[in-house]
Amino acid sequence: MSVLLAIDTSAGTSVALLRDGLVLAEVNLENHMKHAENIGGAIATVLRDAGLAGIEVHRVIVGRGPAPFTGLRVGLAAAVMFAEGAGAKLAGVVSLDALALSAISAGVVPSASKPLLVTTDARRGEVYWALYSGLDRHGVPVRMQGPAVAKPGALAQLLSLEGLEPHTTVQAVTASALAEVALAQDAAGTLSGDVTALYLRAPDAVEPKSPGQFGKKVSS
Amino acid sequence: MSTPWAIRLADEGDLDAIMTIEEACFTSDAWPRESMRDELVGAERYYLVAYLEDQVIAYAGLAKNPIAGAADVQTIAVGHAHRGLGLGRELMQRLIAEAKRSGLAKIFLEVRADNESAQSLYRSLGFEQVRVRPRYYQPDDVDAIEMLLPIEVTNREPLVLGIESSCDETGIGIVRGNTLLANVISSSMDAHARFGGVVPEVAARAHLEALKPTLHEALAKAQVSLDEVDAIAVTNGPGLAGALMVGVGAAKALAVALGKPIYAVNHLVGHVGVDILERGKLETPTIALLVSGGHTSLLLVRDLLNDVELLGETIDDAAGEAFDKVARILGLKYPGGPEIDRAAEGGDPKAIRFPRGLTLPKDMERNRYNFSFSGLKTAVARWVEVAEGQAQAGRATAEAGVGEYSKADVAASFREAVADVLVSKAVNACLDLGVKRLLLGGGVVANKRLRELAAERCAKHGIELRIPALSLCTDNGAMIAALGAQLIMDGRAPSSLDFGADSTLPVTTVQTL
Repeated sequence: MSVLLAIDTSAGTSVALLRDGLVLAEVNLENHMKHAENIGGAIATVLRDAGLAGIEVHRVIVGRGPAPFTGLRVGLAAAVMFAEGAGAKLAGVVSLDALALSAISAGVVPSASKPLLVTTDARRGEVYWALYSGLDRHGVPVRMQGPAVAKPGALAQLLSLEGLEPHTTVQAVTASALAEVALAQDAAGTLSGDVTALYLRAPDAVEPKSPGQFGKKVSS
Repeated sequence: MSTPWAIRLADEGDLDAIMTIEEACFTSDAWPRESMRDELVGAERYYLVAYLEDQVIAYAGLAKNPIAGAADVQTIAVGHAHRGLGLGRELMQRLIAEAKRSGLAKIFLEVRADNESAQSLYRSLGFEQVRVRPRYYQPDDVDAIEMLLPIEVTNREPLVLGIESSCDETGIGIVRGNTLLANVISSSMDAHARFGGVVPEVAARAHLEALKPTLHEALAKAQVSLDEVDAIAVTNGPGLAGALMVGVGAAKALAVALGKPIYAVNHLVGHVGVDILERGKLETPTIALLVSGGHTSLLLVRDLLNDVELLGETIDDAAGEAFDKVARILGLKYPGGPEIDRAAEGGDPKAIRFPRGLTLPKDMERNRYNFSFSGLKTAVARWVEVAEGQAQAGRATAEAGVGEYSKADVAASFREAVADVLVSKAVNACLDLGVKRLLLGGGVVANKRLRELAAERCAKHGIELRIPALSLCTDNGAMIAALGAQLIMDGRAPSSLDFGADSTLPVTTVQTL
């Protein structure tokens, strides 16, 4: 018996609780803001619905994004601390992999020549994207390229240069799909403890050009 | 959820406002004005008012009888426009907390038999019906139901873990009641150095990475395990939104995993309350001057949990920010505070008379307790620019020494201007309000000259000065844990799991419910 808690805040707030691969409870809040408000209640809700206590969770799986900064971090911070509190193992999954799995489960059949393109909103007129050729024998989505961030025009250009006309998907990330990817990766022996955030962008900050320049700017 | 209203102790000045509500709520049996006045100023009375934009909207009062070991809820009324928002419940919880704090084992109240909504509120708080007093309310001829809340008296000091992430320090502290067990701080200061100031996104990223190692170190220092922790406390504001959210998400998940309550507390009030960890209690009333890279706030603290008032704050840069910016003007490193302290060694603090923001008579009328450091920073920049221009001209004409200036004098004079204005306004507040205590907090307290000047002027005016240890003055998790422990020992209910990060949380909101 293994109880698994999955958390993804790369878009909305999604939390799922599974036992032996079966979803016991799931909360999907589509609001792309309010992650800090929603995360505690979402975790408490799935535990309550399943009639379990936090310390009964054996493993925590968290979506690493890619995603714009603030919301993503709330899920990662929550996962890290929940795992500490519950004494559970912690592992990270690329959130786009969960989208790929959902699309393939829904009937999309990608291949290396006609892959599946997964995109999510990266804001600032950009998208996060990755290309998948299908599932491996354990059911793990096979990523050909990505995750990366690009302007939609640049991405289209890149795909046409490679002569690809991929399938696309409009699924939303769910924590249950994320958990499914993790379980498949576990079977394949590729589940990773890496839970660093995939921001794919540097912080918006400009280094001052030279010391003292600040003063000159003020008086000009 | 953060409530829109705030609650403080009532005094005689609230009588008019209270009577307006009293007469509107109790149309047939309002108390006479004189009786209400006697209640407000009476011994063993505890009256609270809730207010919204300076207007009293509700009140409640408790009479304590220490000999009988019991308390009576004397009255509670919420103005018609503000009912159904949980205000009555919050006031009742405060009264219950006061009875607990006073070591009283029972609370009694009477309620009209025809007021079912009030009865259901009291029942939900644990009150039980004791007996009926027939026809108690006249002239309406309505029965009174007497209700009782037995209070469990517990003396165990709670073990609280506090998480702080409002700026660039990830702090995790552990306290048992008033006793400090661990105070571990992980700073991302070095990551900000090349930007010359705190970059919110850089700070937030660093918090996420620091959480686990900081937690482990704190638990090891305190020699406790997570399953012993009674409650989690977390800063939910004020501060940098993205940074706060990391701590809030982390704290909520930890609380849920452990099945323990969570307390969302105010960062600035945390700075004030930290003195409890050094002295076992906070002496009140006190003026508190909190100065850091993010805040410059002057507070009047009559009661840590019930009555904290913002007297003034900076209208532009925080004092610590001014140090950073001036350090940059002088070609010094970040953070500016210690660099300027070093550069000022041997400098003449009177060499240049830099402006003291908001101290002119016309400013003092409207901004007596507010601060401004933006003009000072600009004045230093202009002064340095002119001096450098002259120095360059001097070198061009080979007139050695012309226009050369002393960086030590500039640093010392700037530092003097900051310390002078901070201490003057704080001491003014003490004298104006008749409060003979001043508590300093925030990272800028590390500044030597600020401490010296505060000590000098406080001694001159007979004001007791408190400066907690520097590790407790800078942002830290211990102060958050300490404030959480105070709330618990005061009998406060935990926060819900729904609160968010509030970058502008007012000091009147000590706990977000």
